Amino acid sequence: MPLSPTQFSDKFLTLAEMMGITAREVERRMKFLQFAPEDEARLQQLEPISEARIDSVVEAFYEHLLSFEEMKAFFPDAAVLDRVKAGQKAYFHRLTQGNYDPDYIEDRVRIGAIHEQINLPVNFYLAMYNFYMREVSKHIFSAGFDNPDEATAIFLSLTKLIFLDISLAVDTFIESRERTIRALQQESIRELSTPVLPFREGMLLLPIIGQIDSQRARQLTEHLLVSIRANRAKVIVIDITGVATVDSRVANHLVQTVDAARLMGAKVVISGISPEIALTMVTLGIDLGPIYTVGDLQNGIEHAERLLGYRVEKIVEQKDFKGDNL
Amino acid sequence: MEVPILKQGDILIASIQGALTDTDLLRMQEKLVCRVRDYRSKGVVIDVTVLDVMDSFAARTLRSIAIMTRLLGAKVVIAGIQPDIALSMVQLGLALEGAMTSLDLEDGIAMLNSAARKQGLCQYGN
Repeated sequence: MPLSPTQFSDKFLTLAEMMGITAREVERRMKFLQFAPEDEARLQQLEPISEARIDSVVEAFYEHLLSFEEMKAFFPDAAVLDRVKAGQKAYFHRLTQGNYDPDYIEDRVRIGAIHEQINLPVNFYLAMYNFYMREVSKHIFSAGFDNPDEATAIFLSLTKLIFLDISLAVDTFIESRERTIRALQQESIRELSTPVLPFREGMLLLPIIGQIDSQRARQLTEHLLVSIRANRAKVIVIDITGVATVDSRVANHLVQTVDAARLMGAKVVISGISPEIALTMVTLGIDLGPIYTVGDLQNGIEHAERLLGYRVEKIVEQKDFKGDNL
Repeated sequence: MEVPILKQGDILIASIQGALTDTDLLRMQEKLVCRVRDYRSKGVVIDVTVLDVMDSFAARTLRSIAIMTRLLGAKVVIAGIQPDIALSMVQLGLALEGAMTSLDLEDGIAMLNSAARKQGLCQYGN
């Protein structure tokens, strides 16, 4: 049952598409499983059996499930249980109806996502599939097919389809775990890397490390503005040595930060623009406007000191520093 | 709400006491410009510390006050913009070009004084 890529071209991105499970990917997985049109035909032979036995299978399934204390938490009342049972019946029945189209795939992915959201452990998910297969196998082998091999073939076809479904659901689990981890990671990077350091009276130092996105730019600006007020700062040195790339978006964020600081009566010096960044900015046509920029942090601090009226002088000559009279 | 305008030597201080309606803002603008002319003031500090909202009309009015008083030969400092207001103003594109800004009233007065020193004029205030 090859899927044409056009079948997936809906107006909105489906869950499956967001996870990169395209028609081609589904086809590839089916090839790995050697899921052929014959399998689909065989599974359809199962439909009358499924029709007759589905209720008892699902009942047995939930009886087993609810014998575990921790599972009961997922079914707070009878209404939820009934709804889930109905869904489960529909799914098991759907397995025997052929036509495993993009809607079918999307459904599997969606169910996986729901299970992840309610924090159902993957091992339970797998154990339940196993339970279902054992139940169904009893019915298949006792159904009295003319050829005993036929029952085995049907069962094996079912296994293939179920493994496809499991692979989709497990992918959803992995995908959403990864998303959670990424979000946590970004959050901690964000918290770690935006210190506002009082450097001299009236001067703040704001080293920026890592990527600047809208959310971080906002956070950083808020933090800076509050610090300007708390420290009565007049000049701020923003050092962007640790920012890998400056595109128009980042430049825009910087301009906003500088403007906001100006509204609070503070001047901003941006330091740490490397030759590469300068080149990219010119190539992209980015103009920082009237913002004062310097090459490195040292220049930035020296300029800020001049603005504040500081003069820093060496009190020991370099040759004395090396000599004995230190 | 009326905005009191205080004369302190060569500068005027408009001290906003609470939320202002559009009418209040326009009245303040008119009064300030008249006072600058009457007292031949060299600088104006508008203290907005208590404002916790700055809409586009208020920002535009402050900007036009700055431009008008500059035409009369006086500088304007907007003092005490709150951090979150500064942020939202920037995001709305209300950057108050043409006006100087300061952390608070004290800094605003100091700013006008140092600007006057640079021009070789006498010192404002005390």
